[in-house]
Amino acid sequence: MNLLYATLEFIGVYVYVSLASLLWAGIDRKLVARMQRRIGPPLLQPFYDFLKLAGKESIIPRDANRFFELAPLLALATSIALLAYTPLGFEPIFGTKGDVVVFIYLLTLVGFVRMAGAVSSGSPYAQVGAQREMTILASREPPMMLALFAILWRLKGLGVEKPFSMGTFYEHSVWELGTPLSVIGALLLLVAFLFWLSSEIEVGYFDIPEAETELAEGPMAEYSGRHLAMFELAGAIKTFVSASLVVAIFFPWGISGQLGLTGLPATVVELLFHTLKVFAVLFVSMSLFRATTGRLRITQAVNMLWARLLPASVVGTLLLIIDTLGVVA
Amino acid sequence: MKLPTTLSTVLGNLFKKPATNPFPKTEPVPVPEKFRGKLVYDVDRCVGCKLCVTVCPAGVIEYVPEVRKVTFWLGRCVFCQQCVDVCPVNALSMSDEFLLATTDKYDDNLRWFHGEEIERLKEKLAEKKKTKA
Repeated sequence: MNLLYATLEFIGVYVYVSLASLLWAGIDRKLVARMQRRIGPPLLQPFYDFLKLAGKESIIPRDANRFFELAPLLALATSIALLAYTPLGFEPIFGTKGDVVVFIYLLTLVGFVRMAGAVSSGSPYAQVGAQREMTILASREPPMMLALFAILWRLKGLGVEKPFSMGTFYEHSVWELGTPLSVIGALLLLVAFLFWLSSEIEVGYFDIPEAETELAEGPMAEYSGRHLAMFELAGAIKTFVSASLVVAIFFPWGISGQLGLTGLPATVVELLFHTLKVFAVLFVSMSLFRATTGRLRITQAVNMLWARLLPASVVGTLLLIIDTLGVVA
Repeated sequence: MKLPTTLSTVLGNLFKKPATNPFPKTEPVPVPEKFRGKLVYDVDRCVGCKLCVTVCPAGVIEYVPEVRKVTFWLGRCVFCQQCVDVCPVNALSMSDEFLLATTDKYDDNLRWFHGEEIERLKEKLAEKKKTKA
């Protein structure tokens, strides 16, 4: 019975996040349009795009292998599975001890499946796109993992029920420590995380694998029709999930406590509030970033991720460690 | 890492009105003086001197010897206005019309003096000849 409820909850969350993430895509396009003094598409444009793609003929290239058709399905399935471990204003549905590893694994797997599907298409454009996808994928995860594990380790020190799970952010937040060192460290990690988010959803500087103008959509070059629609939806969900991670780590405060709600209404209110926070984080990390920056070359991006972002993570982590060990009292 | 210089511009733009003209809902952007739009042909003025046929770079104009007039297919027109400039009797002029999209390239909208009009003029000329004779 419990499992049944969890499954229903999971389906509900999936439907909600699909709608919310596509809505965000619409808001993002509208905002970027207004930043460039354009009117922009209607708010629900991504929904129309999705329905149109879903209704169109899907062309399979002659040189594509079996995995080409399987990849979009796997990408969507992976991003849906990811929702079970995503903090959405409340503890993840299937959250357990140490589920952070599952979360990171699934998040990376979405990118990996995209790459594998692109390689399976037999198009040289997609091959180049896939290479870049892989390069940037390998470069952007270490800073994120380091920062995430450092914060979870720090929270574990405060005494939590399930250490190293995504739910611990709602028991203690990284700002609670309150010491100057920890605040500086946390701020550094926040900046690192915002850049990681941009590279995770591949906008602005990091729009490298898809690179419309130079690579003709890169990994997505050969995808059309419902396969592309599935990838679009998976990408939108992944965007929402990645931003949810940042929100859960740095802005985990809820409002149901202030409103004095409990039970189901509290959950719904938290979910809506969390969505608002996700939109705010994405506004900075996606819309603004996309409107103000151009693409980097892949070498520059890798250089930036390893030589800027990783040191920022390392320094932030060291500050947290020093703060904990009480070396500098 | 310095902040992108466009940041202030972009954030300022958020609070400004879009600088666009939502065309189907509004009038299109007004055309300037001496705008070279769709060619207009006045059959009655035309004396059939063939100067426009000579000067046209796109092969829009064809001479119809039986009636000593010209016929146009504007699907080829490049709006260079040379026929207008060269016409000695001002039978040609450029209008302000520029929304010329059609689904059929042989649409009446893109032709001047063709088909039935030519036939009718031929009949007229024949009748004239009869009355003279």
